[in-house]
Amino acid sequence: MTIPAITVDANTLIFGLLAVVSLGIFFNLGKFKASKSQTEREDRIDWSVRKYSFSTYFRGCLISGLGIFLIFSLLGYLGFN
Amino acid sequence: MSKHSALDTFGRSGNPAFRDHFEGTASNEDTRLSGVMTLEGAVNKTGILLALCFSSAAVTWNIPNTGLMIGGAIVGLILGLVTIFNPRQAAKLAPLYALAQGLFLGGITVIFESQYPGIAVQAIGLTFGTLASLLICYKTGLIKPTENFKLMLVSATSGIFLLYMVNIVMMAFGGGEGIGFIHSNGIMGIGFSLVVVAIAALNLVLDFDFIEQGAEQGIPKYMEWYGAFSLMVTLIWLYLEILRLLAKIRSN
Repeated sequence: MTIPAITVDANTLIFGLLAVVSLGIFFNLGKFKASKSQTEREDRIDWSVRKYSFSTYFRGCLISGLGIFLIFSLLGYLGFN
Repeated sequence: MSKHSALDTFGRSGNPAFRDHFEGTASNEDTRLSGVMTLEGAVNKTGILLALCFSSAAVTWNIPNTGLMIGGAIVGLILGLVTIFNPRQAAKLAPLYALAQGLFLGGITVIFESQYPGIAVQAIGLTFGTLASLLICYKTGLIKPTENFKLMLVSATSGIFLLYMVNIVMMAFGGGEGIGFIHSNGIMGIGFSLVVVAIAALNLVLDFDFIEQGAEQGIPKYMEWYGAFSLMVTLIWLYLEILRLLAKIRSN
């Protein structure tokens, strides 16, 4: 009985290894508390409240959407394709 | 009187997913019955969701089926929306969401892989690489999410969503190819995809902060599933955007 040769190209090896190592980091580091510089500061996000109103987020959404559209359209118009 | 002065000034969060869970007042009964959220619990549940997603992706990867793929996308979208507004049901809905999205991701990955061999492993590697890098940046305090960071990120994310919606409407009713730079494989198209990938990646930081604070403040245990679910939503979006970016680069 011949065992078929398992061929792994460099692409699979590099990115596969990256995925495995990254998942290892996530499952290990994820279980530890963040550093004090992260947890003990005054300007942390308070998830129990909405600091900005819905209209602020709505304005932000429109500005971002329009902004991205105008910047890329302008650059395209200037010949960056 | 709330322990947060901002709570009295601005009122509770409008997001039904977060309201009532972080203050603890409304969830005392839940925490007494089910226990409190932990970092380990949230990470383990993310692992379960990833495993479910990979197993259903293997089905459409090995047996490509357009119906199964589109069905998975639609069911996943519906389950995702229901979960966002029902965090208490996340333990039941999040695994179903992961299974449905896996069907979609397996199918779409096969399509990309048949055109650009090797792209799947690249996208998976880069997605998890980004996850690990940003987790290190968050845990060490290199990236510190603030309210302004959240405002900018939510605005940018919804702005991109708006652009995608306009693009779909233009494609459906305009008869053209929608907004050019979204699909282009030139510098503009790649630049746009890079911006979207960066925004999707930074959303991971918000997810980490949500989970970290949830564990710190001892919110109910079922929120572990919700934290894992929100991480999955961001990871799936990030994976799809990286896939698109790599396809644009390789099509040149």
